[in-house]
Amino acid sequence: MKNSLRDLRAEKGWSQAELADRLGVSRQSVNAIETGKYDPSLPLAFRLARIFALPIEHIFSDAPEGSRK
Amino acid sequence: MDCLANTAATRQYLRRFAIAMAAYIVLTMAVSFCFRHFYPTGPLTYLLAILPALAIIAQIVVVGLYLAGETDEFQRNLFIQSVLWGLGGLLSLTSIWGMLESFTPIPHFQPIWTFPVFWCFVGLSSPFLIRRYR
Repeated sequence: MKNSLRDLRAEKGWSQAELADRLGVSRQSVNAIETGKYDPSLPLAFRLARIFALPIEHIFSDAPEGSRK
Repeated sequence: MDCLANTAATRQYLRRFAIAMAAYIVLTMAVSFCFRHFYPTGPLTYLLAILPALAIIAQIVVVGLYLAGETDEFQRNLFIQSVLWGLGGLLSLTSIWGMLESFTPIPHFQPIWTFPVFWCFVGLSSPFLIRRYR
């Protein structure tokens, strides 16, 4: 699943560690989600959406590679 | 284990695991000492013999407690994957060894080695899992 977490984090000026602190997870977890190697559970996705004050579908997309959501 | 991040649950897990490991070493030495010097007989023999195994069971419980207490789902997932690799490696090795024992004159695989071998496979899987999620 694709996501725009890296861009959203950059907009806020947060490091991976800062976002991890806000989420209550490890920095490795944030990195794995950002790189698309790990898809978070629904509760964690909701936490991310709440932190960025955005709907989940603005952060995550199941659109095929190469296409924009 | 290398792929464990520094979470509160991880620190608690390592502390509990170290205690269970220390208990295993102390119990193994104490039981060996008893058998060498006091020559126990009857039901006491069985009771003494299984004491170190109880510490191993405690280590399995510690793993379960970690999985129940880890709030970082990615780390929990990583740990479960490494445990599955450990189980897969152990089952593969013991299956191969069992077949070899049936048809060739290789030495008997003592069941006491299953637990250390399991953790060896868990440890071997860590670098691959770390690289996969880097």
